[in-house]
Amino acid sequence: MEESNGLFCRPVDLSDGDIYKAMREIPGYLDITPGDFKEIYRIAFRRALERLQQPVPVVDIMSREVLKVKTDTSIIEVARLMAERGVSGAPVVDEEERVAGVISEKDFLALMGAGEHLNFMEVVARCLSSKGCVAAPMKKQSAGDIMSAPAVTVGPEATSADVLSIIEKRRINRVPVVDRTGGIIGIVTRADLLRFSGGKEKA
Amino acid sequence: MSYFDKMRGTTQSPPRVSPLEILWSWLGSFLGIAAVAYLHYDLLSETDLMMIIGSFGASAVLVYGATKSPLAQPRNLVGGHLLSAIIGVAAYQFLGSHLWLACAVGVATSIAVMHATKTLHPPGGATALIAVIGGEQIHALGFFYALIPVGAGALIMLLIALLINNIPNTRRYPEFWY
Repeated sequence: MEESNGLFCRPVDLSDGDIYKAMREIPGYLDITPGDFKEIYRIAFRRALERLQQPVPVVDIMSREVLKVKTDTSIIEVARLMAERGVSGAPVVDEEERVAGVISEKDFLALMGAGEHLNFMEVVARCLSSKGCVAAPMKKQSAGDIMSAPAVTVGPEATSADVLSIIEKRRINRVPVVDRTGGIIGIVTRADLLRFSGGKEKA
Repeated sequence: MSYFDKMRGTTQSPPRVSPLEILWSWLGSFLGIAAVAYLHYDLLSETDLMMIIGSFGASAVLVYGATKSPLAQPRNLVGGHLLSAIIGVAAYQFLGSHLWLACAVGVATSIAVMHATKTLHPPGGATALIAVIGGEQIHALGFFYALIPVGAGALIMLLIALLINNIPNTRRYPEFWY
């Protein structure tokens, strides 16, 4: 039908025969022709698509339990925490709990010689051709040293559409949601956006 | 689509219902009409009252034969008959000197009002028409026609529809009340 958000969505091409068979499966006389049903379906599908594309407030889709690390947390600890929680990135906060940056797998990859595309396979290649651990040189560093800063953040009034465009433009995977003082109230990841790309039916 | 292309039709007719459905439609309409006709011929025969009018046959098709249809729902069954009866009687009383006009105005206005009030019920058109063409006995009722036979008959048929249409597990009635 129409193209939007890079998603090409069209209704399943129901044939009159499909509808006729469905009508036969429903007992009782249905006061509608297959043709009318198809037209209702086509229009309803378009309406649903419009509804699903409505931006939702970011506070409705963000994760509120955020793994955050401090600028002086050692990156060994950071790596361990990220592994434990199964996340690929975390906001880094300063002494006043304000978001100072974001640390992610990408920052680690960069230091491990992943090249300009931050490609994991490049790290594998280097690892296989060297003797020690390619991560060893950064052993003494802390989160504040390798994080990406300043952090790209949004306020609680932002919508899913805002976050989507930021994530696409900046080629990042997560955006912390911060209050006016810079304190963290949640985080929105690509996964959160995907999960809620279904939109919300207004009750 | 051009004017003449439209006359060719675009789709197929809905499927035939199962024999069991046909049986339930028969049973429901038998009992619905039986109730109304029994009142008419056996209980009210000594009085000037009547209980049955032709449009109930048409209502039976809907409320016992097409129970899912929006046209067959209680709001439509009762609302459509009541409004059409009032409009039909008014058409006769105001335009009775030109019967052809009373007929046409009665039916057309009934349809318009049923549309506007979301009570479209095809037999309502007949109910309005009967108010005009039904003869002396109907004319003598005046607006009472809307209560008996029309309102009372519609309610009795609704009651039978609720009792019978909810017995088989393939049926439920109504889809909505209002």
